[in-house]
Amino acid sequence: MIAQPTNIKEDKWVPTSCGGCYAQCGIRAHVVDGIVVDLEGNPDTPAGSGRICAKGTAQLMTLYDRHRLNYPVKRTNPQKGVGVDPKWQRITWEEALDTIVEKFKNMKDPRGTYFQATTVQTSEIRFAVIAFMRAWGFRNYWVSGGGLWCGNGAHFMNGIMHAAWSIIPDWTYNNYTIYFGCSKGHGAGHAALQSAQWVADARARGMKAVVFDPFLSTQASKAHEWVPIRVGTDGAVALGMLNVILNEIGKWDDRYLKLKTNAPYLIQPDGHYKRDGATNKPLIWDPEDGRAKTFDDKSIKDYALLGSYQVDGTEVHPGFQLLKDHVKKNYPLDKVEKISSVPESTLRRIATEFVEHAQIGSTIMIDGHELPLRPSAAIFFRGSQGHVNSGWNCLEIDLLNHVVGAADVPGGSMGHGPPVSHGHPDTGKPNTVPYTCPDGLMVVKGWVYDHKPYPLREPGPPQRLDLQDMFPCSVYNAFTICTPEWEQYMKDFKIDYRPEIMINFGSNSVMTMANAEEVTENFLKKFNFIFSFNIYQNEFTEAVADIVLPDTCFLQRYTPCVPFPSTCCHPPGMDHWVWQIRQPVTEPLYERRDFNEMMLEIAKRLGIQEKYYDAINNIIPVRYGGEMAPEYQLDPKGDHDWQDIVDRVLKDRLGPEKGLEALKKTGLEKWPTKVQEMYWRWFTPVRVPIYFEFFLEAGEKLQKLLASYGREDMADFRFYTPLAEWFPCPSHEEKNPEFDLWAFSWRPSFHTQSSTQNNPWLDEVSVNDPFVYLIQINASTGKKKGLKDHDIIWVENPDGRKIKGPVKLVEGMHHEQLGIAGCHGHWARGTPISKGKGQFFDDLINPDLKHTDSLTQGSDACVKVKIYKA
Amino acid sequence: MPRYGFVIDLKRCYGCYTCQVACKAANHTPQGIDWARCVPAETGSFPVALRQMVPLICQQCADPECLKVCPTGATTQDENGVVQVDPDLCMGCKYCIMACPYGARQTVDEWKTYFPDADGDLDPYEAYAKAQWEEKNGYGIATKCDFCADRVKEGRQPACVEACPAKARYFGDLDDPESEVSILIRRERGFQLNPEFGTDPSCYYLPPR
Amino acid sequence: MLPNLKAQSKWSWLVAAYLFLAGLGAGAYVTGVVASYLGDGWIGISKIGVCLGFPCVLVGCMFLLADLGAPLNFWRAAMRPNTSWIARGTIIITIFMVLAFIHVAFWLWPFQGLAEAVGARQFIGILGVIFAFGTMIYTGILLAASRPIAFWSTSMLPLLFLVSALSTGIMAVILLASFAGTTHAGPIHSLARFDSLVIILEMFVLGFFLQGTHRVPEARASANLVLSGAVAPLFWWGVAVLGLIVPLLLDLLGARLEGGGAITVAFVASLCGILGGLFLRQVVLSGGIHAPLRAGRFEIALPNI
Ligand SMILES: Nc1nc2c(c(=O)[nH]1)N[C@H]1C(S)=C(S)[C@@H](COP(=O)(O)OP(=O)(O)OC[C@H]3O[C@@H](n4cnc5c(=O)[nH]c(N)nc54)[C@H](O)[C@@H]3O)O[C@H]1N2
Ligand SMILES: Nc1nc2c(c(=O)[nH]1)N[C@H]1C(S)=C(S)[C@@H](COP(=O)(O)OP(=O)(O)OC[C@H]3O[C@@H](n4cnc5c(=O)[nH]c(N)nc54)[C@H](O)[C@@H]3O)O[C@H]1N2
Ligand code: SF4
Ligand code: SF4
Ligand code: SF4
Ligand code: SF4
Ligand code: SF4
Ligand SMILES: [Mo]
Repeated sequence: MIAQPTNIKEDKWVPTSCGGCYAQCGIRAHVVDGIVVDLEGNPDTPAGSGRICAKGTAQLMTLYDRHRLNYPVKRTNPQKGVGVDPKWQRITWEEALDTIVEKFKNMKDPRGTYFQATTVQTSEIRFAVIAFMRAWGFRNYWVSGGGLWCGNGAHFMNGIMHAAWSIIPDWTYNNYTIYFGCSKGHGAGHAALQSAQWVADARARGMKAVVFDPFLSTQASKAHEWVPIRVGTDGAVALGMLNVILNEIGKWDDRYLKLKTNAPYLIQPDGHYKRDGATNKPLIWDPEDGRAKTFDDKSIKDYALLGSYQVDGTEVHPGFQLLKDHVKKNYPLDKVEKISSVPESTLRRIATEFVEHAQIGSTIMIDGHELPLRPSAAIFFRGSQGHVNSGWNCLEIDLLNHVVGAADVPGGSMGHGPPVSHGHPDTGKPNTVPYTCPDGLMVVKGWVYDHKPYPLREPGPPQRLDLQDMFPCSVYNAFTICTPEWEQYMKDFKIDYRPEIMINFGSNSVMTMANAEEVTENFLKKFNFIFSFNIYQNEFTEAVADIVLPDTCFLQRYTPCVPFPSTCCHPPGMDHWVWQIRQPVTEPLYERRDFNEMMLEIAKRLGIQEKYYDAINNIIPVRYGGEMAPEYQLDPKGDHDWQDIVDRVLKDRLGPEKGLEALKKTGLEKWPTKVQEMYWRWFTPVRVPIYFEFFLEAGEKLQKLLASYGREDMADFRFYTPLAEWFPCPSHEEKNPEFDLWAFSWRPSFHTQSSTQNNPWLDEVSVNDPFVYLIQINASTGKKKGLKDHDIIWVENPDGRKIKGPVKLVEGMHHEQLGIAGCHGHWARGTPISKGKGQFFDDLINPDLKHTDSLTQGSDACVKVKIYKA
Repeated sequence: MPRYGFVIDLKRCYGCYTCQVACKAANHTPQGIDWARCVPAETGSFPVALRQMVPLICQQCADPECLKVCPTGATTQDENGVVQVDPDLCMGCKYCIMACPYGARQTVDEWKTYFPDADGDLDPYEAYAKAQWEEKNGYGIATKCDFCADRVKEGRQPACVEACPAKARYFGDLDDPESEVSILIRRERGFQLNPEFGTDPSCYYLPPR
Repeated sequence: MLPNLKAQSKWSWLVAAYLFLAGLGAGAYVTGVVASYLGDGWIGISKIGVCLGFPCVLVGCMFLLADLGAPLNFWRAAMRPNTSWIARGTIIITIFMVLAFIHVAFWLWPFQGLAEAVGARQFIGILGVIFAFGTMIYTGILLAASRPIAFWSTSMLPLLFLVSALSTGIMAVILLASFAGTTHAGPIHSLARFDSLVIILEMFVLGFFLQGTHRVPEARASANLVLSGAVAPLFWWGVAVLGLIVPLLLDLLGARLEGGGAITVAFVASLCGILGGLFLRQVVLSGGIHAPLRAGRFEIALPNI
C-alpha cells in the first residue's frame, strides 16, 4: 500500500483533456485534498490510448508555477518594443475589464479590431474567438506562427485532396511510408500518442519508413532509411519520383485515377477544361465509344487517361497525359539530384519501392466491405511546407498517394480530421461528409478557417488589414502586415480603417512568426491598445501588451468539445470516435480566470451578448456538423454563462442525458467508428484534382484584380499553374559563397513551440539532452571550420541578422545544413527558467514578400547562413 | 514468487523522455533525481549515421553489485527480485553508486524548489511531493527505481510503463515462461546490458532494429 | 560518436583525505613498530610513529563521516562484512585503532605501569602491524572492488596505496621528528634513505598501474583524463613532481648533507611527499570512470555519476 498520511479527506481522479499541445489527449488528474499530485493518461479514451507524454505530465509544474501570471497587470512604461521593460503594475480585474470595455467603446471603427490566437489551444478558438469576432464585427484574425509555418500549404492542400486538416498513414495496414519533413508518430505532429503507438506497432510488424529530412530527426532515427535532403526541395523530389513512376515504371492505379480524380478530364490548349457546351461540365474521353462525354455521364464505359483527342475541332488531352509529360520533360532525375542533393539512384529506388509496396489492384475485406488495399503512403507537414513553395510542395508529395490510389483507403494516407463522420448513434451529430462542386471535385463540409480550401475564394477587394482575403488560396500572410510598405498598401487597396485594438489569446507571435524586430516594429506596434490573455509573461506581452490578463491554464477550464472533427487531433482508424470535454481539476489559484468566461463577460459589458449567442448558434452547425436543436440554441435575449453554453452544446450533440454534469464524471463520450467513415474515399462520390485547372483561373483573376490596383508586384503568377511545379526559395538562389549552410528548425517531442521551456521538468530534460539547446552541424563540416563541441558560434543570414549559441558536432546532419530546435532562446523577464536557453531561430526569418509563397502565402522557414566563432 | 522483470523495446522507443518525466511525477523525486533516465546515442558516420535513445532504470540485478558492496544492509533484495534501499538503514556512503554498473543510484542532499526565485515557501504540489519524498526516501541516502513497488502492490503497472507513448516498456514475471516479458525476450532476442559484469539484470532490451 | 565518458563525482576530496590519512596513519605506525626493533637510538622515532597511527586514522574517519549522507547511521557500517569491503575495512580499521590506541597507552598515565610489559607491547605491536597493513591495503581494495570502474578495478591499486601509505607514513614520522632539530638526525637520515627506495618502488608501481589502463575504453578514458585531461595538472605537478620527483631528489641530496641542512631537506622532502600522497588519492578518485553501456552498436555514458 502507498503509505498515505491518515488525514487525507479526498482522493480522486478527474478525467479531462490535455492542452499541452494540440493533440489534446484524454488524461486524468490525481487530486488529493484539492492538490493535483499527478497527471496520467486516461485509459478510457482512444485519444491518447491511456498514455501521456513528457509535456503532458509536466503540465503539473505549469499548473503550480508561481512565475505564471497570477494577477492582471497593466503597462506603465509607454515605450514598447523587444526587450523593453513594461514596468507592470498590478491592477484589479474590474479595472482591467473597465479599461478594455472603454477602449472598445471609444474605437473609431470596430473593424480595426484584431484577434490573434495561439494554435495550441485549438478548442478555445472555435468559441470565444470566433463568436466575439462576429459579435463585434471584425474580420482580422491570425493564429501566430501557425498558418505561416504549418497551416497555409498543408491544411489548404489536405483540405482539397483529403477534406482534412492533415494526413497520416493508416498504420494498421501500411507497409511503406515516405516522410517529407514531418514527425508524425514520433513526438510532434498530430494525434501524437496514438500515432506513436501505431507506428511502433507497424515498425514491429515490419513496416518500412523512409525519411527525407535534413537531419537525423527522431522519425529518421527510427526509420528504415534516412535520406538527407536539402531543405525546401521536397516538391522537386516528389516530382522526380512521379516521373519515375509514370514514365519509367509506368504503373498507376488506373481505376482510382479514372473514378476518384480529374485525371481523365480533357484539357484544352489554353490549359482549361474542355467543357460541355450545354451543361458546362468538364468532358472526358470514352475510348470505347470513341467520343467525349461529361465527366458524370452515366453511359461512360471507360475513361481515357492518355492520348490526344479532337473535340469540337480543338486538340485536347486528359490531364493525366499532361502531368505525365510535364514531369518527364521538367523533372528528370539528374536535375532533381542537383536541386535536392539526393542521388538519382536513391530517388529511383525509393520511387520503385513506393509503387511496389502500394500493391495496386489488391483488396482487403473489412467489416464485410471489400476495399482497395494500398499499403504505401507519402506524408508531409511543417518541414516540407515551410517554404516559398509551401502549397506546391504539399500537393506534389500528395500526388504520389493519388497516382497509386493510396488515399483514405486501408494502408494509404488518411485524412484527419477524420473528415467523414456520421455522428453519434443517438443524435446523428456531428455529421460531416464531403460533397462535390459542379465540376465533380470534392468540397469539405466542416472547416475551421472562414473560407474553405476549395472552391477557392474569389479574388475581390480586400477587407482585412493584412489583405489576405483578396488572395484566392491564402490562409494567413505575414508579408503585407509586417512590411514598412503597409501604409502604402492601405492606400492602394483603399482600406478605410486603421488597426486599433488587438486581442491576443496565448500567441507569442514575437517569437513564433519571424524575426522579432520586424514583427514588433512593423506589425504589433500598429495597434493603439493590446490586451493579452496568457498564462506567462512572454516575449509578446512584454514587447507590446498594454494589459495582460492571467488565464487559467487548460487544467482549470471548461471546453465543450475537444478532439473532434476538423482538427487534426482525432485519431483515424477503426476504433472509436471520442468526444471529450475539458473541466477544471482544481480551483483556480490566485486571480487566474478562464479566457472563455472573460470574453463572454466583455461581450456582455459591451452589450453585444445577443450577437455573441447568435454567433455560437451559427458556429456549432458549421464546425460540428448539423443544426442545433431549438431547445439547446442559446436564447439571444437570455443570459447564459459559459458552463451553460458548454452544457447546451453537449446535450445537443450527444443527447439530453449527456450534459455537462454527466460528462464531468466520465470526461468523454465514445462510439465505434464505421468503415464508411474511416475509409470513406470509395464510399463518397467525390473526385480530387491531379490537374489544378482552378489555379489557372484564380491566377488570372488575381492578376486582373491586382492590376486594377496597380499592384501586380504582390504575387508571382507563375505559381498559379495547373501543373505541379517546384520553385526555389531565396535560400536556393543565394549567390554569395560565404553563406554556405542552410539553417532550418525542428521540434523536440518534449517541447511545444515557445510554450514549455519555462517548465522546470522539461527544462531539466533539455539541459541534459545533447541536442535541443545546442546548434547541430555535421561533424566533418564543423571540423573543416575548426569548430569543436560547445564552441560559441554566430549564425548570420544574408541580411545580417544573427543569433549566437553553442555548437554540437554530430554525424546525423546533412553536411551543408544546420539545425536549431524549436522556439527557444527566450528573453522575457517573466520566464526566468527558460531565459537565455537554446536559440531563437525565428530571428533569422524574414516576413517579406520574397520569402512568401505566392499561392498560399506561407512563410519560408529556411535560410542560408554563414557561421563563425563568436 | 514471481521474479519481476522489465523489457525495453529499443525498436519501439523513439526517445520522448516520457518515462523520465512520468517517473518523476509518480515518485515525486526531487530536482536532479531521475530514476528513469533517457540517454541518446549516436553511431556511424554521415550519411549512414544512426541514433537511438537508451532508456535506463535500475536493472534489478539478480546478483546485484550494489547489494554486495553495501556495508550497512540497507540494500536488500525482496522475494520478487526487486532490489530495495531501506532509507532508515542507509548511511549514505555512496559505495553502491560506485559499484552499480548501470548508474541506477543517486543521492540528493536537500529539497530544492524548482522555482528558484519564489519567496521561500513551496507551492502546494511541491510541498506534497516533498512530504512524500521524505516519507518514502529522504536525503543523503541512496535512492533508485524500485519498479514502482507501491503501484505494483496495488495491481497497477509501473508509471513509466503506463505512460510510454510507444508502448516500448513492459513489466512482468521473468520466471513465468508465458508472460509477455518472457515471450518478448525469447522471440525478439532480448539482451541484457553489459552482461560481463555478471549481475544478471532483470531488465532486458530488445534490439533497436 | 563515442560517448563522452565522465568521471564519478560522488566521492569527493573528503574520501580522498580519508584514504590518505588512513594509509598515512597505518604507515607511520608500522614505521614506529619497526623502529622499536632498531635499537635505542630509535626509541623517539618509534614513539612518534606509533603515536601517529591512531590520531591520523581517527581524523581520516572523521573525513569519511563528513562525506556520509546519513552520518547518524555510521555505526551500521560493519553489518555486512561477508560481502562489503567497507564493512570489512571498518572492522580492520577499528581493530587497528584499538590496537594503536592500546599501544600508545603503554606510555600514558595511568597505564604507565605497563610500560615495563615489553612482551605485551611487542605482541600488540605485531598484531597492530598486521592490521596496519590491512588498513593500508584495504583502502585500495575498497576502490578495486568497484567493478564497473576499470581504473580502480585492478590489483595494482591496493599495491600502489600500500606503497604510498608506507612512504607517506615514513615521511610523516620524519616530519615530526625533524621538529626536534638534530636530536634524531641519525634515524632521520636512515629513514630518508629508505624512503627514497620506497619512492622509487612507488614510481614503478604507479607506472604499472597506469600501464594497465590500455585494455578497456573506460580505463583509457581515465588514463587520458589523468595524463592529459582535466586531472593532469594535479597528477603531473601534484603527484609526479611534488609527490615523487622532488622528495626523491631531496632525499638523495640529503644523503650528501650533514646536520641541520640534512634535517631541513628531509623536512621539505617529507612535506612534499605527504602532499603528493594526498593528491595521489584525489587523482585516483577523480579519474574513476564507469564503463560505458552497450546496446547493440550504441554506446552510452552513464548519466549522473
Ligand atoms: N523556430 C520555430 N518557430 C516556429 C515553429 C518551428 O518549428 N520552429 N513552428 C511554427 C508553428 S507550426 C506554429 S503553429 C507556431 C505556434 O506559435 P504560437 O501559437 O505562438 O504558440 P506558442 O509558441 O506555443 O505560444 C503559445 C503561448 O500561449 C500560452 N499559453 C499556453 N496555454 C495557454 C492557455 O491556456 N491560455 C492562454 N491564454 N495562453 C496559453 C503560452 O504561454 C505561450 O506564450 O510557431 C511557429 N514558429
Ligand atoms: N511535441 C510537439 N508536438 C507538436 C507541436 C510542438 O510544438 N511540440 N506543435 C504542433 C504543431 S503547431 C505543428 S505545426 C506540428 C508540426 O509537426 P511536424 O511537422 O512534425 O514539425 P517539425 O518537427 O517542425 O518538422 C518536421 C521535420 O521537418 C524537418 N524539416 C525542416 N525543413 C525541412 C525541409 O525543407 N524538408 C524536409 N524534408 N524536412 C524538413 C525537420 O528537421 C523536422 O524533423 O506539430 C504539432 N505537435
Ligand atoms: S501529446 Fe500533447 S496533448 Fe497529448 S499528452 Fe502530450 S502534450 Fe498533452
Ligand atoms: S517513454 Fe517509451 S518511447 Fe519514450 S523514451 Fe521512454 S521508453 Fe522511449
Ligand atoms: S542496476 Fe545497479 S542498483 Fe540496480 S540492482 Fe543492479 S547493481 Fe543494483
Ligand atoms: S549508500 Fe546506503 S545503500 Fe549504498 S552502499 Fe552505502 S549504505 Fe548501502
Ligand atoms: S518502474 Fe517506476 S520507479 Fe522504476 S523507472 Fe519506472 S516509474 Fe520509475
Ligand atoms: Mo503549427
